[in-house]
This record gives sequence, C-alpha cells and structure tokens, in this order.
Amino acid sequence: MSMGTAERVAPPPLAGTSRRRRLISGDRVFEVIAYGAAALILLIAVVFVIALFIPALPAITKFGLGFFVSRTWDPVRTQFGALPAIYGTLLTSAIALVIAFPIGLGAALFLAEDARLRFLRGPLSFAIELLAGIPSVVIGLWAFFVLTPLMRDNVDPFLSHTLGFLPFFQGNASGYGFLTAGVVLAIMVLPIMIALSRDVIRAVPRALREASLALGATNAETIWAVILPYARVGITGAVLLSLGRALGETIAVTMVIGNRPEISTSLFASGYTLPSVIANEFTEAVGDVYLGSLFYLGVVLVLITIAVNVVARLLVWRFAASETPAP
Amino acid sequence: MKRVLIALSLGASLLLAACGGSSVGVTNPSTGAPLITPPAAQLTGAGATFPAPFIDAARFAYNKKFSQVTVNYGGGGSGAGISQLTKKVVDFGASDVPLKASEAAAMGGSDKVIQIASTLGTESLAYNLDGVADGRLKLTPNTIAGIFLGKITKWNDPALVADNSGVSLPNQDIRVVHRSDGSGTTYIFTDYLSNVSADWKAKTGGPGKSISWPVGDGAQGNAGVATRITQTPGAIGYVELAYVLQTKMKQALLKNRDGNFVIPSAAGATSAAKAFAGSTPSNFSIVNAPGKDSAPISGYSWIIVYKDQADKTKGTALVDFLYWLVTPEGQQYAVNLHYAALPSDMVSFDTAALKTVTSGGSALLSVS
Repeated sequence: MSMGTAERVAPPPLAGTSRRRRLISGDRVFEVIAYGAAALILLIAVVFVIALFIPALPAITKFGLGFFVSRTWDPVRTQFGALPAIYGTLLTSAIALVIAFPIGLGAALFLAEDARLRFLRGPLSFAIELLAGIPSVVIGLWAFFVLTPLMRDNVDPFLSHTLGFLPFFQGNASGYGFLTAGVVLAIMVLPIMIALSRDVIRAVPRALREASLALGATNAETIWAVILPYARVGITGAVLLSLGRALGETIAVTMVIGNRPEISTSLFASGYTLPSVIANEFTEAVGDVYLGSLFYLGVVLVLITIAVNVVARLLVWRFAASETPAP
Repeated sequence: MKRVLIALSLGASLLLAACGGSSVGVTNPSTGAPLITPPAAQLTGAGATFPAPFIDAARFAYNKKFSQVTVNYGGGGSGAGISQLTKKVVDFGASDVPLKASEAAAMGGSDKVIQIASTLGTESLAYNLDGVADGRLKLTPNTIAGIFLGKITKWNDPALVADNSGVSLPNQDIRVVHRSDGSGTTYIFTDYLSNVSADWKAKTGGPGKSISWPVGDGAQGNAGVATRITQTPGAIGYVELAYVLQTKMKQALLKNRDGNFVIPSAAGATSAAKAFAGSTPSNFSIVNAPGKDSAPISGYSWIIVYKDQADKTKGTALVDFLYWLVTPEGQQYAVNLHYAALPSDMVSFDTAALKTVTSGGSALLSVS
C-alpha cells in the first residue's frame, strides 16, 4: 500500500522486472475475478435449474412424461397436463415470427441500405428504440383495450371472409386468442428483429456490394443475391433471439390470449401459454402436486428455450461452416 | 384499483371523523366498556385479495386509533397467506376458503390454529347486452348453470326467454368470462354452481379456487373480468359486488332459493349468513341460502392465526386487533366497501376462538 502511494508521487524508472511482476500479479487478480464471474454464471444456471426441478418433483413423479401429452388442466381433480400450453406457446410464437420476419427484414434493409427516402431513417430508428423501450404490460394494456376490439370487428371478419376456407381462419372471433396474442408478440419482437438484422446487413463488406453493382446487378438483385445470403447466419440469429423473447413473454400475452387450456386449429380460438398459466395460477396454487405442476411447466419452458438455442447453434454453425470463404 | 382508492379515501375520511368528533368513540360497542388498549407491536399478515381492501382500510384506522400498533398486510393470494403462515413468516394469514385438512396438518394440526371469519361478501353476474338495461335480465340457477356449462350458448335461448318475458333478448352468442387466476371469488361461485346443479358438480368435480371451465375465457382479477365484460358484446361473468357497483356494470337479478329475484347486495349477504347461522370453518358454505332477500352467491373470508403465540406482547396486540376487526367497530370499514357486516353469531364465534389464543399457557384476549 505504502509503495503504491510513493509511486504515485514519483514513479520509478521502468526497471523491467518489478513492473512485470506487478503486471503479472495484476493479471492474476483479473484472472481470478474473471474465472469467478464465469463460475458464478454457471453456478446460477445450475442452482436455477435445481431450484426449478425440486419443487416440480411431486408433479414429475405423479405425471411423468405423460405431462407433455395430456390435455387436462383440472385443479379440482389435481390432473394436470402441459400440451395445450405448449401448443399455445409454440403457435403464438410462430405467428409472431411469420408476421415480424418480413416486416423486420424489410425495415432492416431500408435502414441499412441506400434508399431514396433517407430522411425517414432517423424517425424510424427512433420509433424502433421507442418500441423496444415500452414495458410489456403497457403493450398488453394497449392490446387489451385497442387491439382486441380491432381484431374482433375488423381483422378477424376480414380474414374469415377472404381466407375462411382454411381451417385457421374459421370459427367465431371474440378478439381474444392465438392470433391476437401472435400480433402482440410480433410487435414486441420487431425491435430486436430489426436492430439485429440491420447490424448484420450493415456488416456485409462494401466490396461485395460494389462488385455486384459493378457487374450490372440492380439494387434489388444485389440485396437478393449477395447481401441476404451473406447475412443469412446473422439474420437466423436475429430470428432465433426474437423467438426466445416471444416464448417467454408473459403479461401481454396473458391479457389477450383468453386463458383457456384448449387446443384448436382456428387462430381465432382462445388458448393458453406456459408463462401465462404460471403467472395466473401461482398465487392460489395450494398443494404439492398443483404447485409442482406449475414448476413442471417452468421446466418445460426452459427445455423449449434450450432446444431453440441448440437449434440456433446448429444452424449458425452449419451456415458458418458452409460459408467459410476460400483462402 | 378503484377499490384501493376508495379504501384509501375511506380511511382518510374516517380519520378526519375520528379527529373531529366523538362519532367514533373508543368503546366496546357490545358492552359499552372502553376498548382494550393493545401493547406496542408490529403485526404482519398476508393472503387473500378478496378482503384486502377491507383489511387495508381497517388496519389504517386501527393505527390511527392506537399508534403503537402497526399492521401490515401483503395480499399475494390465499395460497401465499397459508404458506407464509405455515413458515411463520407472518402473524396472520387470510384465506377465502378455510384450511384443508392437509394444510392444517402442515401447521401442526387443526387444533394448533384458529380460523375466524373476517368479512362477508357477495357476487353478481354482470353482463354486456345492448337493449337490456341494468337489473332487467333475470337468471335462475338453471340458466346460470346452463350458461356456464356451455349448454345455453345464445342469448335468445328458449330457457332464457321463458324467464324474461317483456325483455327482448338478441340472437347473439353468449361469451362467458371467468377468472384466470386462482381466487376465492371463483371458489364461492363454483360452490354455488355445484350446489344448484348436479350436472355442474359431476362435470367439474365441485368447487375450487381455480377449475377446469367447460366454456369461456379467463381474465385476471375482478377488475380484469369486469373490463373484459364491459368490452365484449354478449359477455357475462361473475364479479364481486363492489366492482359491479363501482364500475356501474349491468347486473342480473338472481333467483334465490325462496324463488325471489334479487339484486345482489350486502343486505342480501347478511340475510344469507343469517339463514346459515352457526357457520364454522368446517361448515362455511352459505351459497344458495334460504330467506326471501338472500343473495345466492355469498361467502365469508377467513383469517388464520396460531393458537400458541411465542411472543406474548405481539400475540396480545394481534388478538386485540383481530377482536376489534370482527366487532362492529372494525366491521364498519367493511360495510363502507360493500361487504356485509358479520352477523352477531359469527362475531361470538370469532370472539370465542380468539379467547383460546394463548402465550405461555395464559389467554391473551382480555374481554369478558
């Protein structure tokens, strides 16, 4: 300590060895901190999984893997199954991606590429940041009061009128259900999708673009044949990150999905998602099996998220491997 | 939300009344004797949200009267109340449904705790139907069960039309709304349905705070159900009376056991409670009560405490507060929030139970 104070007053000339020693010991301290931080993250992950698993045990031992395929959710008779909630979670997330992917990619291209209406970029970027910053409960409130009547009176009747021959758009629309929840999720994942895709597209080397244009390709052809293939890995990553967000979103979905544990092909029908069931029923869930089933749902959600991540890794890895530029 | 605001403003206005005059005197209303002054303590409770506005208003008023006692109440739901009391994190737990045998066992057995009724409430069936004004729709146990079983799906169903001569019911889908979160409100409503309909009981397995609904969508909380009904044409759902009155929703006339159509009210809940005089935590259901004014979907809310209190001072303050809460002095805060005051036989039951709370073998409540 005293040495340090003295040094601050008059730093000794670089004597080599002492300085190196200090650097090495500083390295060591840093190393320990870094390892500690890394270990802590691992520890948190492990503790988290265990903490989720232990309270879920009563339900796991009672229902086993049948939990994944059972459609019953009956607290009175303590019979629980996750299938409707799994279905709802996957379906709403899929709807969100189907809506958000083209819009997000289009907006990202507009932001990243040279476009005519350049003056719109500033406001658009600002709007995206704004959208990303809106708390999900506020989006939920908006959806509850504004989006559901709009879906019920305009969008759903239009869809059943034009696409009603498909089973997805049949039945009675109440404004609440899979489709509305999917739209809400699409709005919530758009900022991630746009921001990530934009950065990936911007990272495409200028030389590639210019080469393509120099060969006589139009802007559209350049985007289609050069930029998008190059950015494919990154865009896939953006989609999967968006999916991760959509899978876990709770409150906004709970407010519009109808909270009905049922499986239905119609997107107008009410459903349920894994996080919604947990959020709704946790406070009054009494009894080991009931509470355990909610934790079991949590385990299922974690498993789905892990699966999404693994698939993402594999995809990115495959794309990256197939696209390693020749030396 | 509204209810909390009302609770706060009510607390504030009562505080003014207490400061301003002798209208709220510190006397025991039943004996005229001065109320017991509790020792200084900090009490914590948790549990049901159904009585939360009442407990909040009451604890606020109690603290104004006896500043040495602070009572905190965190909602969190009946489940949270029971589990926190089991872990002895809180001094009292509130639950809309008395303890089940397994829950009591986790607390050391049903003889280790007392359960007292804290308040009495009732529920309405609110609807959103153009052209049918507030209090015009008549519902019977049969049609209510039919609607919630999904057997009656249109507003102009012959069964509904037959009960509602003079009202033009539209050819519109009925959209059932129920609670998505587990709640005592659902328990009381499904208790009612199980009581009036054997079909319902067979299909759903009886009452529960959260059940497998044959039909309809879920919305969160009384406020969520109320908003969802106001928003959706053709909707119907069960909502706690106070929410219906505060949001000025349309509510149906309900046919009670005596065959009268009544608008649910606090007076109706009192009438139902009187019809089931002698209710106890093990025999607590007062739905579908006889009596010409009885509101059919009524129920008590309960508070649970341990019989043996480790801390004598704290235990004394706890029973003093709870005694004050269940006697008319505390019950006035319930009445102002559209709950009904506890009937006198229940007050006696509560008092007798509170007298059995001890610390180191000596009783803590010092009333005759």
